[in-house]
Amino acid sequence: MTTPPPGKPAALADELARLEEIVRRLEADDLDLDAALALFEQGVACLRSARERLAAAEVRVRTVLEDANGTLRLGEIDG
Amino acid sequence: MGPADEVLSISDLTAAARTVLEGGLGTVWVRGEVVQCKVHGSGHWYFTLRDSAAQARCAMWRTYSQRAGRPPADGTEVFAQGRPTLYEAKGEFQFVVYRLLSTAGVGDQQRGLERVKAALDKDGLFDASRKRPLPRYPSRVAVVTSRDGAALHDIVIVARNRWPAAELLLVASRVQGEGAAGDLVAALKLVNRLRVELCIVGRGGGGREDLAAFNDEAVCRALAAVRVPTVSAVGHETDVTFADLVADLRAPTPSAAAELAFPDIRAVRRLAGDLGARLAGGLSRRTRLAAERLARTGDRLEVALTDTLARGRHRADRLAAQLDALSPLRVLQRGYAVPRAQDGRVLRRLADFPAGRPFSLRVADGDVPAHAD
Repeated sequence: MTTPPPGKPAALADELARLEEIVRRLEADDLDLDAALALFEQGVACLRSARERLAAAEVRVRTVLEDANGTLRLGEIDG
Repeated sequence: MGPADEVLSISDLTAAARTVLEGGLGTVWVRGEVVQCKVHGSGHWYFTLRDSAAQARCAMWRTYSQRAGRPPADGTEVFAQGRPTLYEAKGEFQFVVYRLLSTAGVGDQQRGLERVKAALDKDGLFDASRKRPLPRYPSRVAVVTSRDGAALHDIVIVARNRWPAAELLLVASRVQGEGAAGDLVAALKLVNRLRVELCIVGRGGGGREDLAAFNDEAVCRALAAVRVPTVSAVGHETDVTFADLVADLRAPTPSAAAELAFPDIRAVRRLAGDLGARLAGGLSRRTRLAAERLARTGDRLEVALTDTLARGRHRADRLAAQLDALSPLRVLQRGYAVPRAQDGRVLRRLADFPAGRPFSLRVADGDVPAHAD
């Protein structure tokens, strides 16, 4: 099970958008077979990655704490 | 039917009257002048409200009087929210008050709110053009609310159900009472230092009173300065706060905010599944097209070959005919004869025919012996 690494926040949106784009191009007829195969491979990679992100995960809740010197850190919350 | 047959006790009477009274009006706001407010040892307040023509006995239970601050001085003009009832022990009409606001204070507050509203409006903080769309699939979301309130809990519940891929970062802040506005400003500024895609700011449902922090000018400006899209959830169906107007999206409650912020993971999984199916379908269609095209090309090749062959045959026939026409036999068939010497040489000139020398004439179907005279 993979959770999306922080710092790649929009990755799922990007992947799904890219996948939609690939599917649309693949469904158009003006594509030679090599290009279609290459697109298909990219699409499979996007799909796999999106599925991993959508795999069963558990909501994580943390609290933001600021140290006296202004440094932020994340603390766990009970419940 | 005599009076003894259907007699009500006084208790029955007052209970029935109370039911009628309480059911008739429900909760209402009234305006009047306070007379003789007495603070009971239990913390309850008892006073009379009157206008020029009438008066009503009022009670404000401790739970509510504690929130109202100081007991009102005699003659204070107030707005009071409460509900009429009957104090059965004394058979007295009574107005039970929940909220008490001095009309002067309300006026001041109203003017203050209008000033803040005008200032925010002037700077375009309410403009629809400022509203940003929410991210479709947020993975990290800041939640600005109190640590112990119901808001965080409600948001977590919805997130768990709809979008377990989410990570929530609580930026704790008081949301009502003294210090709430300052807390909220600091919390909203802190949000800008976090790597999040969305910010939900709000408080749990419950009390209708004290939305002041969410009408605070500094809070509204800090909210407008949050770099990611914001959702307000002040937990109040009827009163809209300025923070609601400044946020990119207003939700009536924290749960509703979470519903708006988080997509339903089942729908997104379905979408991904559909796209996967279309991806496979697209490719197989594409390869089928290629195969069909290949087959068509093969057909065309065969047609071309056949054509070539036919053309070749035709040409060969024509050539054969020409050959035939050129054949000496054909010439002979037309009645010509070829004279040849006995050694087979073709005799072409007069000099080839010395007198008396035999030769043969080749005609179509054979040789004829001849000699020159």
